[in-house]
Amino acid sequence: MKDTGDKVNEKWDVQLRKGTLELVILAALKARELYGLELLKLLHGYETMQITEGTLYPLLDRLKRDGVIQATWHQEGETRPRKYYHLTTQGEEKLSALASRWRQSVQDIESLIAQPASVNKAQGK
Amino acid sequence: MSERELINQYLKSLSIYLSRLDKNDANDVIREIESHLYDALELQQQQGKPSSAQAILDGFGDPRLLAQQYIEHVVNGAPPPEGFNAIQTVKRGVTKSLFYSMAFVGYGISLFLIVVGLCKLVMPEAVGVWSASQGNSITITFSEHSIPQSGEIFGYWLIPIALLSGGFIARLTTKILAALKRIIA
Repeated sequence: MKDTGDKVNEKWDVQLRKGTLELVILAALKARELYGLELLKLLHGYETMQITEGTLYPLLDRLKRDGVIQATWHQEGETRPRKYYHLTTQGEEKLSALASRWRQSVQDIESLIAQPASVNKAQGK
Repeated sequence: MSERELINQYLKSLSIYLSRLDKNDANDVIREIESHLYDALELQQQQGKPSSAQAILDGFGDPRLLAQQYIEHVVNGAPPPEGFNAIQTVKRGVTKSLFYSMAFVGYGISLFLIVVGLCKLVMPEAVGVWSASQGNSITITFSEHSIPQSGEIFGYWLIPIALLSGGFIARLTTKILAALKRIIA
């Protein structure tokens, strides 16, 4: 029984991530610079965000091409150079737009879960 | 195979699959992933875990599939970055004005030819195509007097010629407009 539960959870996480990963990355980079490995470790600290390197890096590349994030190479002292990502102005705008949309979705779904029967209310009758 | 060899082999095969990218872009991707791989190896060692380059490489997956995600936009011509929307709008504007001028010119010529044909039918003496100055110029005239020193060409044949070519141009215009509409949409 636990096995099927895990499978359902995993499938759900994958589906949900497809739509939300961009928001997740933008939020993770809010007001700070991170390089790929740091970003990955940060996400892996959350139960539902176990993404792989093979997902993260191409996505970062796409977001860079979209102009919402920017990358710069830094080398501190003797360490090897790392590519740091930060939000552009366009990225900050997109983050706040997606974040408010996300909050609206959560609110709507929560409201349905809490009161599934109130059809008339949702239709404004 | 040593950890380093394993990593080098992976990066080498990745760089082959990335060859469709601009050289600088491909190098940038390789450098970033290389930096990640060695960082992650060190992290494993710091955490006292057995270091395994293979485990990290598994996270990146098959180099061919990884590269595919990086070159997708080159191969499929993915939509340009949002900043390029301005150019798209200009392009659409051009096509739109082209659409309307094409409609105006095409249907205009067609209407004119049909009107000429019909007028010739109604008042054959007043309308005609004339060859003036020994064939150096051709004029279509609506006049009460026929123009001396110039010969009328076509005669009554003007009626079918004008009507048919008017109809033909109208159909052609419709076809071109339909094609243009597909481009605009």
